[in-house]
This record gives sequence, C-alpha cells and structure tokens, in this order.
Amino acid sequence: MPLTPLSRPLTAEDAAHFLRRTAFGATDEQIRALVGQKAQDVARAALAFDQSVAPGNPFDPMQGATPGAALQLGRGAWLYELAYGPHPLREKLALTWSNHFVIATDKVRNVPAVVDYLNLLRRHAATRSFERFTLEVAQSPAMLRYLDNDQNRKGKPNENFSRELLELFTTGIGHYTENDVREGARALTGWSYQGGRGNKQYLEQPRFVNQPQQHDDGKKTYLGQSGALKGEDIVRIATSQPATATFVSRKLHRAFLADTPDDAAVQGSADTWTRTKGDVMAVLTELLASEAFYASRSRIIRSPIEFLVGGIRTLGQPKIDARSLLNLAGTAGRMGQVLLEPDTVKGWDGGREWINDTTLLLRMQVAAALTMGSKAPNLDTPPSLLALTGQERPAGAVLLSSLKGRQRTYLSLISPEFQLA
Amino acid sequence: MTNRRDFLKLSALAVAATSGMPGFLARAATQAGGTKTLVVVQLTGGNDGLNTLIPYSNGAYYAARPNIAIPKKDVLTVTPDLGMHPALRPLMKLWDDGHLAWMENVGYPNPNRSHFASMAIWHTADPTQAEADGWIGRIAEKIGDPFCASNLGAATPQALQASEFSLPSIDSVDNFQLKLPGGMNTPFESLLNSPRSGEAAYLTRATRQMLKNTARVQENVKKYKAGATYPDTKFASQLRDAARLIAAGVGQRVIYVSLGGFDTHAGQRAEQDGLLGTLAGGLSAFQADLERQGLARDVIVMGFSEFGRRVAENGSAGTDHGKGSVMFAFGQGVKGGVHGSSPDLEDLSEGDIKYRQDFRGVYAEALTRWLNLDARGILGGTFTGPRWIA
Repeated sequence: MPLTPLSRPLTAEDAAHFLRRTAFGATDEQIRALVGQKAQDVARAALAFDQSVAPGNPFDPMQGATPGAALQLGRGAWLYELAYGPHPLREKLALTWSNHFVIATDKVRNVPAVVDYLNLLRRHAATRSFERFTLEVAQSPAMLRYLDNDQNRKGKPNENFSRELLELFTTGIGHYTENDVREGARALTGWSYQGGRGNKQYLEQPRFVNQPQQHDDGKKTYLGQSGALKGEDIVRIATSQPATATFVSRKLHRAFLADTPDDAAVQGSADTWTRTKGDVMAVLTELLASEAFYASRSRIIRSPIEFLVGGIRTLGQPKIDARSLLNLAGTAGRMGQVLLEPDTVKGWDGGREWINDTTLLLRMQVAAALTMGSKAPNLDTPPSLLALTGQERPAGAVLLSSLKGRQRTYLSLISPEFQLA
Repeated sequence: MTNRRDFLKLSALAVAATSGMPGFLARAATQAGGTKTLVVVQLTGGNDGLNTLIPYSNGAYYAARPNIAIPKKDVLTVTPDLGMHPALRPLMKLWDDGHLAWMENVGYPNPNRSHFASMAIWHTADPTQAEADGWIGRIAEKIGDPFCASNLGAATPQALQASEFSLPSIDSVDNFQLKLPGGMNTPFESLLNSPRSGEAAYLTRATRQMLKNTARVQENVKKYKAGATYPDTKFASQLRDAARLIAAGVGQRVIYVSLGGFDTHAGQRAEQDGLLGTLAGGLSAFQADLERQGLARDVIVMGFSEFGRRVAENGSAGTDHGKGSVMFAFGQGVKGGVHGSSPDLEDLSEGDIKYRQDFRGVYAEALTRWLNLDARGILGGTFTGPRWIA
C-alpha cells in the first residue's frame, strides 16, 4: 500500500516541519512562503534540484598541503555547501547516503577520490535507479579502497566489500548466508583502481579498472542465482532483493520521519520501491508529501551537522568566516559526526546516541558562539519562535517571549525543541 | 562564562529536580557502596587473537599464515606453547608479577561475523540479540546510580545503554563542565521546567543529568596528581582521564574505553602491531599511575574484541572476520596466567576456531567476585567461567 498523501494545504507548522526535515531549518519568511500550498507541489519542488553549488565557497580541498589538511578543507567545503548551498535537500540526501554507503577519509586519504565520491552521492541523491547508484559506488575508487575490494583477486578473495554490500548496503542481516558472502567476493574479484595510492599521490586522480586476469570467472551461486557471475550481476541481484526495498526504505524513514520508524509506513515505501524497481525519486516524492511525514513531528534528534547547519539556516545564513566554519566542522566531529568519517562502516546510529553529557555541553557552547559570543554574527531580526522550534506555541513560550533577541535565540537553540526535527 | 558559585547553584537546582526521572535515577544510590572499579577495554574491529597470544609451537599456525604469522623468535614467551605479541612488551612486568590473565578461546554460541551484530552481542550479553540494554547499563540500574559507569570518548556504546537513559560519556574531563553565558542560569532552569513528552522529555532528562554529572566530576577531580607519564595517544589520554575519575572518588564502578582500527583485512602486520603497541603503552602507564597513587588494589582492567579473525590469512596479507578470540585482564586483583585451553587449529568450523569459553562466564566472574553484584540478574542466566579474579 503506498503512503496516503496529505490532503490539507500546508499550515505554518506543516511548512516549518517540512523545512526542518528537508532543509535543516529555515527563516520565518521561507516558512511563510509555503503556507497554503499543496504538499505534493512542495515535495516536487524541493526534489527538483540540479547540481549547482553555492557561489564563493572559500575551501578547495585540492589546495591542501598534506592529505590530512586537504581532507579537512574538503569537510569545510561540504559544511559551506550544507549551510549556504542552493539545494539543502540534495545535501541532506548526500549526508544520508554518506551514512549508508559509508567510506572513511582516514583510510581513503586521496582527495580526488573523496571529492568524486561526494559528487556521486549528490548526483544520485534522489536517484531513479538504486541499482545504478550502487554499481557506481561499488566501482568508485573511494569504496574500492575503503572496503578493500582493490585487494580482491582471483584465488585470493577479500570478503570485506562483499559482506558489507549485503549486510549494510542492500538486504541487511538475515537475508543471506556466509556462502553468499564468499561467492559474492569471488564475483567481485578484479575490480580495482589505478593511481592515487600512497600519501604522496593524494592529489592524483585514481580511476576504476576492471582486471580480467584477476577475475574468477568460474561458476558461483549467489542469493539463489547461479552462473559465471560478475560484479555487475552481484550488484543487480543484491539490489533487486525484496529485503533491499525494506532495508533501504527504512533508512530513508530514519532520515526523514523518525528515529524509530513505523514498520507499516516503511512497508508503504518498500512497496513503492518494489513497484518502481528502486526508483528512489518516486519513493521520496511520495514520502515527503505523505500524511505519515507530516504526522511525525519532533521524532528525530538532530545530528551534530543538522544542529549546526540548522542553526545557521534558521538564523538566515549569516556570514561566518572561513576559519570559524572549519572550527565548526571540527566541533561537529567532537560531537560525534566527522563528515565522511563515521566511526565504523555501519555509519552513525543516530537518535539518542547523539546525546550524552559531552555532546550536550558542546551543543551549548556552539549555540553560545552563534548567538552571544564576541564573534557572533549580527542579526537584524532574530528568528521567530516558529523558525526556532517548529511550533507557534512551544514549551517555555512565555519565558522565551520575555527575553531579548540574542538571549532568546541562544536559549531556543539549546532547548529540547530545537534539538529535535 | 558562569562563575563557580552560579555554577554550583545551578547544579544544586538540577540535583533537586529529579521528579519525572526514570525510577532508577531517582532512587537513592544505596547499593553503590563498593570501592572496586572495573575498567573495560574494547578493541573495536575484531582483534586477531592468534597474533595476540601466539601458539608459537604449533606448525598449523605457521602453515596457515605464511606472511603474517609472528616469527617464533619475536614472540614474548609466556608458556611452552604460547607467547605474547612483541608489541605487548610493556605488559610483561604484569605477567611476571602474576597479575596478567589471558582467557583463551572465548566466544558465544552461533557466532556472527558481522561487526555490528557481534558487538551488540558482547554489549548486551545476549547472543539472541533480543536485548537492547547493555550489560553495564543494567549494572547501573542494579546499583541505582547512573553515574556509577561512564564511557570515556565521544559516543556512548551500547554496553552503557540503560532502558531509559544512556550513561555518561566523557570526552575529556577538563571540558566536562557547563559554562552558560552570564545571567542565563535562571531562564535556562525555567526552560527545563516546562512540561514535555516523547523525545523532548528525554532531552530534558539528559540535560538535567548532565548538569548533575559535570558538577560531581569538577568538584572532585582536583584530587588527582599524575603518577606516571602517559604516551601521547588518544587512548592513553582517555586512560589518564579514567585514573583521574578513579582518584576523584566520584563513585565510578565501571569505566569504558575503546581503541578502534582492528579490522585488518589487508596489510595486517603493520596495522595490528601499531595498535597493540598503543594498547600496551597506554595500559602499562595506567597501571603505573594507579600503583603510585595507591589505587591499584581497587582497579582491574578487562579487555575484549567482538571476534577474532580467520585462522588462515587472506590474499592481501590480512585476515577476514572470524569467530572466537582471546580476552585479557590485569590488575593486582587478577589471578595471572592462561585460563582455558588453546584452540585446535586443525579442527576448525568454516575456517574458524571453535570457541570453548563463553564470554558471559568471563563477565560473570568480574560481576560477582569483583563488583559483588548478582551476575544472574545482569546476564540473564547463570554462566561459569574461569576463576580469573585472585
């Protein structure tokens, strides 16, 4: 059963909710502009993004003096795009996919590979073909390096990518056997990349190579299908499993609906996924205009990046100098979210795991820096309570209304209401 | 920045306002009595047990690992058949003193080669993966004090999840204090007093608990004066923070520290050698520090990894995910030696060793004979393991 579309025109709180989830947050003016519109039109418009980027990005990872510096500049560049770019939903999806098809820059350590990888996530952000997306991921030098498939050769299998393809990228645990992992690894032998290896070549562009002499062309059996299977076959078979529709839909619900998704709603998206053969654009269009989406208020704890970018966008995108932005990207790391470097290949679990004593303290410090610190941006009009909390009458509204601009903004940013989307 | 008096005032308010807290948070911490501390060290990524405690007299070991086996001449001999990885040399004194224990061949039924499923099993102490709470979270519930166990690091592991709360994570003791801009204490307190439900209520509770925890640590941590020089690694600095918390006497019964990077699919020797060096360097400094402070009698360390690696190396001079592995423990309260028998490398299950000791038996020993708690209630069953507590 597809998800039921929202029938009412958007109220102010509906519009605030939509922009908190799809744009990290917005100003009062941006929220009001959506009031009265149809949910389907709003969803379609937000998803109709192109690949244009924010003008004047001060960071260029290719200028990095060392691999570590270059990757830090890359994180700054992404934070800038997240906070100031013209297509926040594209960036939100790229962030979501970076937490699905996980790589980690500390292992990849090649700048063009990481830049290409992020652009791949952007290009497929609302992909029409999850199979095509997964294939490009599997052949990207960043992933080949991160999960060691560049070391996977005939007679010398390396199972790392084959296992995670099933466990984390497609079907999830419980839908395959250890034998499928082994056979998948055999089919993926020979996929590697050329160039860009080693610390000194961190600015050299690596390229995917298929090495037939390293490929095991014998017969394999994978998820019930047999033959002289190749890497492309493995990707096709894994992505077309019914379990994949549910597993990946669930991740989209985690990103857009709730930290603990509703199984029936997930199934609705999985049905659409199956019917459209993994057309993520179709799934998202339905999802972001559904009753279920608009009914799921305050059920996602904002990640550190969502907290930071949400703060900047809610404040009306005030100018923040490059150095401070780099510091903010580093602070997001201390709050548990280094861009393109989750702790493990499973990615960030999110939800309540974002919250502990240390991360709460850091959130308070960041909020103070954005609103009350000596270098805090000057705001002509402080954000409305609707923009800050998503509610016209939030908890503590009387208290907040009695405070002056900066103090009210500061206190709102550290309130439970702002921490949630 | 708030001054100290304001800060204490705020903290006092936070301490008083426990209504609406989950039951165990509001209860008086009557059972928190003991003075013993257990430090749990997680080696994340699946540490290769066979290259940690090495069966150097076993030809099958060298046959299976032509490129990555530790040569016999490099092994730190501990028994006629077993020796430690050379990078573990800083721990040899503990071994010689009879305070370092190796638990051989530890695992659990129906082993899972997924990092995450397997880690969850070790964290929840539940191989069926039905439990969401962690075993240390349940210790905190039993003791009735959410601050009796902390993680050192940015993210709280599942082991420290309790049903309604996750236990504190302390990234750095020095930064573990609240600094509100001037004049904001009272409005902040009022804001927290607004009624909330769902995740918003959870966040309110988490914030209140943070206020209480940070106050407690900062009050006490000044008591510590370093008794040893720690290596310049993040892992070692976390262990120094562990020593500071213990010296502060803030009631920590369990402290959790992680060292990641053990997922050695390729080029294992270089990676694992470096990691084991970091591990041993940090741990030996920690032990020296405790000894100089006169705290060593009350602290033991127990280390684990979610699984070991395959017996045979793969084609990239690394190893893929395997099953059982070794655990270690040390401290003056530990009975040194090798506990349990080594795996039979010629009788394997899908290329992996067949485990002989259930990790829950190892936990049970720490729970009952070190922390003096009812292991059955925490582990959901009776498990017996090696008697590794002295």
